[in-house]
Amino acid sequence: SVEGDAIKVYVRVRPPSEGTALPDGDQGLCLSVLSTNTIRLHSKPEPKIFTFDYVANMETTQESVFSSVAKNIVESCMNGYNGTIFAYGQTGSGKTFTMMGPSDSDNFTHSLRGVIPRSFEYLFFLIEREKEKAGSGKSFLCKCSFIEIYNEQIFDLLDSASAGLFLREHIKKGVFVDGAVEQVLSSAAEAYQVLTMGWRNRRVASTSMNRESSRSHAVFTITVESMEKNNEIVNIRSSLLNLVDLAGSERQKDTHTEGLRLKEAGNINRSLSCLGQVITALVDVGNGKQRHICYRDSKLTFLLRDSLGGNAKTCIIANVHPGSRCFGETLSTLNFAQRAKLIKNKAVVNEDTQGNVS
Amino acid sequence: MAAAGDGWAAAREKFRSARALSSVESRKDPATEPFRSKYAARALLEEVKQLLSGAEEGGDAVRRAVLEYELGVNHADTEELSAGEEHLLRCTRLLEPQRLSRRCVALYIQAQNNLGILWSERDEIQTAQTYLESAEALYHQYMKENGNPPLDPSEHFMDEEEQLTDQERSKRFEKAYTHTLYYLAQVYQHLEMIEKAAQYCHTTLKRQLEFSGYYPVEWALNAATLSQYYLSKQCFMEARHCLAAANVIFSQAGQVPSAEDNETEQDQQDLRQRKAEIARCWIKYCLNLLQSARKLLEDNIGELDLDRQLELKAQRKKEEDEKENGRKKAVLFVTSDICDSVLAMEEKVSCVYPLDFQEAREIFLVGQNYVQEAKEFFQVDGYVTDHIEIVQDHSALFKVLAFFEEDYERRCKMHKRRVDMLEPLYADLNPQYYLLISRQLQFELADTYYEMMDLKVAIGNRLEELDTHTIKKINSLAQLAIKYYELFLDSLRNPDKVFPEELEEDVLRPAMVAKFHIARLYGKLITSDGKKQLENMQTSLEYYTFLVDYCEKYPDAVHAVETELELSKEMVGLLPTRMERLRAKLCPFI
Repeated sequence: SVEGDAIKVYVRVRPPSEGTALPDGDQGLCLSVLSTNTIRLHSKPEPKIFTFDYVANMETTQESVFSSVAKNIVESCMNGYNGTIFAYGQTGSGKTFTMMGPSDSDNFTHSLRGVIPRSFEYLFFLIEREKEKAGSGKSFLCKCSFIEIYNEQIFDLLDSASAGLFLREHIKKGVFVDGAVEQVLSSAAEAYQVLTMGWRNRRVASTSMNRESSRSHAVFTITVESMEKNNEIVNIRSSLLNLVDLAGSERQKDTHTEGLRLKEAGNINRSLSCLGQVITALVDVGNGKQRHICYRDSKLTFLLRDSLGGNAKTCIIANVHPGSRCFGETLSTLNFAQRAKLIKNKAVVNEDTQGNVS
Repeated sequence: MAAAGDGWAAAREKFRSARALSSVESRKDPATEPFRSKYAARALLEEVKQLLSGAEEGGDAVRRAVLEYELGVNHADTEELSAGEEHLLRCTRLLEPQRLSRRCVALYIQAQNNLGILWSERDEIQTAQTYLESAEALYHQYMKENGNPPLDPSEHFMDEEEQLTDQERSKRFEKAYTHTLYYLAQVYQHLEMIEKAAQYCHTTLKRQLEFSGYYPVEWALNAATLSQYYLSKQCFMEARHCLAAANVIFSQAGQVPSAEDNETEQDQQDLRQRKAEIARCWIKYCLNLLQSARKLLEDNIGELDLDRQLELKAQRKKEEDEKENGRKKAVLFVTSDICDSVLAMEEKVSCVYPLDFQEAREIFLVGQNYVQEAKEFFQVDGYVTDHIEIVQDHSALFKVLAFFEEDYERRCKMHKRRVDMLEPLYADLNPQYYLLISRQLQFELADTYYEMMDLKVAIGNRLEELDTHTIKKINSLAQLAIKYYELFLDSLRNPDKVFPEELEEDVLRPAMVAKFHIARLYGKLITSDGKKQLENMQTSLEYYTFLVDYCEKYPDAVHAVETELELSKEMVGLLPTRMERLRAKLCPFI
């Protein structure tokens, strides 16, 4: 069907945090959830309606977020497909809660645990089930890596001593981070342990505007490899599951998602290093002519190129805060999510129509 | 005055520290407290403001304006836009009456630059545009009416003996104005005034050269990228100029002494990558020039139009004679010291359309050299996508060169070269990660075999009779073309191996063309076995029917394949009769 490769977008509205909720109820909220896939933003003069694949209201449970977002992706990962789950939204919109769970020390058994621990459980549950079904004929190998992209540099969260890793491509294995530590996993608990260890190494910043905001993108990748022996024929399948926690969306202004906004030269002595981006944009609209653009995509898009319009299953969870003070950010998050729906597998084939019909 | 002098000394000192904190220290701030130095600088500036308001010197509006400016930039830097705007507006208000004076003009322009940035952060590009355009106008007015090197804003907090030289003043002033142009380039880009944006980018680059405010590598990369804009506008002379200048400036990069000692492996690699990127821009230049020439020269079946060729050659002769005082120079970068090197670089490749094989070959060879250069860095191990893109360009260069080749055998060999470079890459590529390129390669390989088959048929037609060798060749090329078209079509199937009911917009045309070509290929297969021939016709008919049925079901698809659809309809009408006739011939008694 036509919807095939499009990215699924799931919007989740968090409850207003205690203290910010105004006594006059609805007045303090900038949006309302109309149905399981529409949301109304109380913009002026006209309210704006957005439609997504799912909209989760404030009462939605963690379990239900997991079943509608991640379950399917984890399953297709078992079938050899790559899958990616993104969390997007401004700082304080509930990304970490959605992905990880409440910020307790032991999230893994917590009843409010998030998408990531639940995905681990489900993945290993599926692996165990497969193994039981297939007996000794089938074996699995799970590995994980955890990296952080900060200021267009890549760091290994599993090896805090490392710095400045590079992205490379392999003709059989696709894009990979050269030199990133890979840890073998044998259970969901182990996966969770690795995750929490790495999470502590992330860069967090506080400014007078934001109490705490994550300034980096973190990518946790699980590689699932299955090997099946069938009368001497060995069948190996491998797939990736990427769990991505993006930097607070207010920081994304640095990475062209916001579009408008001039790049500053700042200090008068510094170079005008962004001129290249402007020129790139000019060349981009060039009418399908052959051209080369010298500036590579951002590290994140390069790493996840396959997820953003390849043959992978991808889902974005856009987190929004309903408070009316967050109106601007919420609007921009919803706009981003709307645009994300349009990203599809762009398989433009070089096809020359000249001289072939004769 | 003495007391005031002390206050002044303290103010000056604090101002100086604030500037240092802002511009130098802040870069070392930890990620956890990105604005630590900025906040410290802000506190100092506020203190200076206090000091000045108490002293007699505080009466100096310009000094107060400098402070407001610094505070404005500081707040904007720390994501407090409204406060930043207030300070900046206060700054311009203080300066308004004397904005055209030597003391104020530089500060005024910088304040407007920053207001422009600030408004752009609020997504109000038009407001930003107003500020920046008025800064641009002010610069021109000042240069026309006065033109003396104006004071740099920082000088208002310096002692007499520290004042800058006129040369330094002028340098800083020009730099601030370059920034205005650079911001305007962005504004125009956001407003989709593409041509204007390109022009401002070009001017920015030019001014960077003139006032030597650039990093060679960065500058070269920008110029090379700009060349790609000119390519999309078919301005080959400008594109070549940008590329030649890029090469010349890039060669300065290795010569910078500071980069010598502690140059790491990584820096070296970066440098090699940039060089390869510029080479890739050159490849596109050669490719576009050849392809555009081909467009001009081809007739309605894609072959070289000899009349047109003569016509264009005569026209070019005429233009060359008239050229002497042509346009030229207007957009060029040339500053005297690099002028000669750029010209020498330009002479290595033409910027006019090649009109015959000789001329095309010269451009092809330049392109091919850059292919080798680019491949040295972008090796398949580590740079799969880039490497394949370069090889695809190489293949495209051969393809367009073949157009200019009159000898069919030699033309065929050029296509064989394309197959030889593409096929092994395709065989290794994992479509799970490289679906898009994988499809592109399938399609291109199919097309190349298709073209070779057509050439062999044309060669065969000149013979008295087709010999078995030629027949075998034609059939095997046709089979290979079919194989790759089918692989492409298979890549569209879903995980359960089902072909999509409705094709997505971006694969619609290629998929339909693949079906159409397969239909034609089955029609071209040569066999003396009548039953086999009938089978081929049947298959051919099925593929033609697919096109017709699909377009009937999804009328939106018609626009994408009009010619193909028309021919398919015709064939769907004709083939059954032909098959009937053949059947009758095979079994004359039924």
